[in-house]
Amino acid sequence: MSDRGHIPESRQREAPRADLKWIGRSMKRVEDPRLLVGKGIYTDDVNLPEMAHAAVLRSPHAHARIVSIDVSRAAALPGVLCVMTGADAAKVCDPLPTWASPPVLQPVIADDRVRHVGEAVAAVAAEDRYIAEDACELIEVEYEPLPPVVDPEEALTSTGDAVLHPERGDTNIALERTLSFGPVEEDFAAADLVIERRFRWPRSGGQPLETVGAVASFDEGAGRFTIQCNTSMYNYCGWMIASTLRVAPHKLNIVPTLAGGSFGSKMFVHKVPVLAAVLARAVGRPVKFMEDRIDNTTSCDNHASDRVYYAKLALKRDGTLLSLKTRIIDDYGAFLQFGVGQHGNALSQCVGPYRINSVEVDLAAVLTNKCQQGAYRGFGSEVANFVIERLVDAAADELGVDRIALRRQNFIRPDQFPYLIPTGNMYDSGNYQAVLDETLKLADLEHWRAQQTEARKAGRYIGIGVATCQERSVFSATEFWMWNLEQGVEWTSSPDGVSVKIDPTGKAFVTLHSPFWGNSPETVAAQVLAEQLTIDPADIEITYSDTDQGLNSTGPGGSRFTVMVTGAIVGAASQIREKMLRIAAHLMEADVRDLALEDGAVHVKGVPDMKMSIAELADKAHYYRLSMPDDLDLTSGLDATYVYDHPVTTLPDPDERHMGIFYPIMGHSCHIPVVEVDVETGQVHFLHYAAVHDCGTMVNPMTLEGHIRGGTVNGIGTALFEEFAYDEAGQLTTALWTDYLIPTIKEAPADIVVGHVETPSPFTEYGVKGGGEGGRMGGPPAIAAAIEDALKPLGVTIDSLPLPPSRLRALIRKAQGRAA
Amino acid sequence: MYPFTYHRPDSLDEARARLAASEDGRPLAGGMSLMPTMRFRLASCADLVDLNAIEELAGIERRNGQIRIGAMTRHAAVAASPEVGEAIPALAALAASIGDVQVRNRGTIGGSICFADPAADYPAGVLGLGATVNTDRRAVAADDFFTGLYETALEDGELVTSVDFPIPERAGWAKLGNQASRFAVVAVMVSLAGGAARVAVTGARTHVFRAAEMEAALAANFAAEALDGIAMPSEGLNEDLHADRDYRAHLVGVMAKRAVRDALAR
Repeated sequence: MSDRGHIPESRQREAPRADLKWIGRSMKRVEDPRLLVGKGIYTDDVNLPEMAHAAVLRSPHAHARIVSIDVSRAAALPGVLCVMTGADAAKVCDPLPTWASPPVLQPVIADDRVRHVGEAVAAVAAEDRYIAEDACELIEVEYEPLPPVVDPEEALTSTGDAVLHPERGDTNIALERTLSFGPVEEDFAAADLVIERRFRWPRSGGQPLETVGAVASFDEGAGRFTIQCNTSMYNYCGWMIASTLRVAPHKLNIVPTLAGGSFGSKMFVHKVPVLAAVLARAVGRPVKFMEDRIDNTTSCDNHASDRVYYAKLALKRDGTLLSLKTRIIDDYGAFLQFGVGQHGNALSQCVGPYRINSVEVDLAAVLTNKCQQGAYRGFGSEVANFVIERLVDAAADELGVDRIALRRQNFIRPDQFPYLIPTGNMYDSGNYQAVLDETLKLADLEHWRAQQTEARKAGRYIGIGVATCQERSVFSATEFWMWNLEQGVEWTSSPDGVSVKIDPTGKAFVTLHSPFWGNSPETVAAQVLAEQLTIDPADIEITYSDTDQGLNSTGPGGSRFTVMVTGAIVGAASQIREKMLRIAAHLMEADVRDLALEDGAVHVKGVPDMKMSIAELADKAHYYRLSMPDDLDLTSGLDATYVYDHPVTTLPDPDERHMGIFYPIMGHSCHIPVVEVDVETGQVHFLHYAAVHDCGTMVNPMTLEGHIRGGTVNGIGTALFEEFAYDEAGQLTTALWTDYLIPTIKEAPADIVVGHVETPSPFTEYGVKGGGEGGRMGGPPAIAAAIEDALKPLGVTIDSLPLPPSRLRALIRKAQGRAA
Repeated sequence: MYPFTYHRPDSLDEARARLAASEDGRPLAGGMSLMPTMRFRLASCADLVDLNAIEELAGIERRNGQIRIGAMTRHAAVAASPEVGEAIPALAALAASIGDVQVRNRGTIGGSICFADPAADYPAGVLGLGATVNTDRRAVAADDFFTGLYETALEDGELVTSVDFPIPERAGWAKLGNQASRFAVVAVMVSLAGGAARVAVTGARTHVFRAAEMEAALAANFAAEALDGIAMPSEGLNEDLHADRDYRAHLVGVMAKRAVRDALAR
């Protein structure tokens, strides 16, 4: 196992316990009241005196040289304050931040060429948005079209005019390399059977109701920007925006606004705040830019994995899985914001829950004339889940064994954790058998198998799918750079911090240093702090810091926030508890070792009457310094800050035998949908859906179930409907939600029966694991399997998504043709 | 959206006068198609004449063996109408299948047939039930009303006031809708009255049409099996992201049979 690295000691302080009061409770969300009464402040609710409004002229071409731009008519329109072209922007700002190494230069407004439909060509600031949009229509641009590159496999061989970034060489391959872990060739040589499939995972993306927006202002006196924006990661790397704007990092304050949904997008928003900021500096007034829907769908950060897989799974005739080899072509669009971090991510769980001895991944990341990829629920790992699950299904079919039995046979056993997979990532804990058993119970498999048999006799097609999927959580920074050929950003920290203050009356204030991203950070923080200090969550107030006040904090994303904020609060609360005990010991003339914090008061153990409430202690701590010991380190007040580092991560091996531990807090899920396929129309109806997740110790079962149900419907969208489809000319044909089909209540199952298994992590506080992405990670392979099962009499194979009625009907027609 | 002047008359006469007085006026019914089009700056007008305050244009009544539905009657009202439900349940089902709750509470029958979207539901109802469209000037038979892509027999400034639906012996509705808009990818209204069958198909061509071969077969034998072997040629059918021609042609056959089964089950 040494080739797979080493496992550090656990740094867990709080073991999971049975007698927790607040952790584990389905408490109503702290965030809800103000959001439900419409008092949440989203970016578009921010209105500043003298604020101007921006609109963006976007490229109608997929790929073209900009020959000339005439802005004179637009600039002359009454109410227009500024018209900015790419050339103008390049004079006042640098290319946008990127994790790619070598970088793929991305201008905030297109420079001499446009590289995708929807790329910004010019921006206008005006007295109102109407005038700004009118002005955009008056800008005259002459384009010289270049060959559009749309097909990812054709992009492998692009040269000449078809190359998007000639400064990186005469190719559209941004990165191509092979990583091999373990004895791949030996394992393939020893195999009795190799399953080979080509898979196509479609480009889709997070679709938050609220688009990305920013309100930027520039204080000419202080030389300083303030940007209010619905972004994350601002306390991790917000200074990169300052660099782009060519100001020192302390001359920019990023103030987070609530995100009206993200689904992973808005992870590190760069285009919109930079655009608003350069315009604000140019016009000397605050500028608001809110994307409209087409701005968002054509040019935001929400497009995701767009992959072709050539996959091979080697196994023995007895069903033992041996090795996995994949050739991946990933269509990254025109730019690489996060490098190929999505593939670092996928390496974290590419072998699924199975004992697979070796892995080889051969990746080509290609540049095409499409919107850049960003982050989206799963961040590439959901694709790996689809691939391994489809391969295991295919292997079972090939061997003529039950799909569930083959899974059981190859599961990593509960006694094998913590377990290092060939890529070096660690699975901290798990009990996959238990999750499967629980799901089978909820799914009532026997009932549905009987229904299936009856239905087939009547010419109806019912199918049952089973997917057993990993649900990695808590990324470490290495996932973003491990693939790089050259040194670039090689960070190894990905912490999250909190500040906690108890005021003189005993009320608690928590400052989070990461934003509200559409999830439940305040609820989690309140429950954990209440648990730690034995107080009522109603006595806790929670706010968000800006970058001026911010502690080193990575933010949500990668299902990390519940684990990280829990760790940070445990760290801060322990400092506060220690101080309270010290003060109480002094005031009650007791030994600190005889004291305990219970029910909001410090007691002398065994002497019920001797106690001081937190409010009393806070009062003393704030106002009675002279009653305290005269120690320099005992300052007045009752507060603490704590930055919680990633609980368990290690460096990639310098020789690349493994990639270290980078995504170790490993949840697991089993999804069993039952579908009926209408073979005449190609429509899929859900008859039943059971999903069991193991996210370790649950902080709040209700919000976790919300994530699971919402994520599962998200997965239904990916499996059946959603696609950012580009035609041969590079036009995005699904820019609007009339064509980009999101499942509605009519397409969702009547209920998603959710169950839980709790296998606590030995590495995180209380054993919590992340659970924000699992629904979308488990849904697609399970649904594909269910459809395949339904259509088994016709011999339909599912290897590409999505499957809207037209496409499924085409597959059925082909199969019926073959049969006839 | 480009600027326009908004008018809200409370009588048909005033609406007509407003439209007549404007060089570039448009009537506004439910606005479910017109407003988004204007918002995207794909349509504009100098004067927008809102018909929503004209009470005389809304309402449902049964008289002379027919169901009369006022032009400004909302889809939700048709879907919930006891008169429609009793006389032509398939028409209530059609109305209930339009869009979503918000659309059904705003959209109107008059707006739908005047806009004549190639995928709208009501044109199939009007044609498939052999209705008559009443305007402020005349009565137009359904067969003459829909003339092309977003085109009708209406003249400039002519306003639909109501639609008269004869009550058939049987009628059935089947639709495969776009899941976002619920517009028909293909939808079919069939009816049987006085020995004659009608089969009206929407979503498949530039505008709603009747499937003559199917009608003849159903007149002889009003049963789904009567349609066996009648293939809809894919040539000339609409093709878009959600359905190519072959799929649409296939769906016409499937939806027609399902509409017949629906009619027989009502």
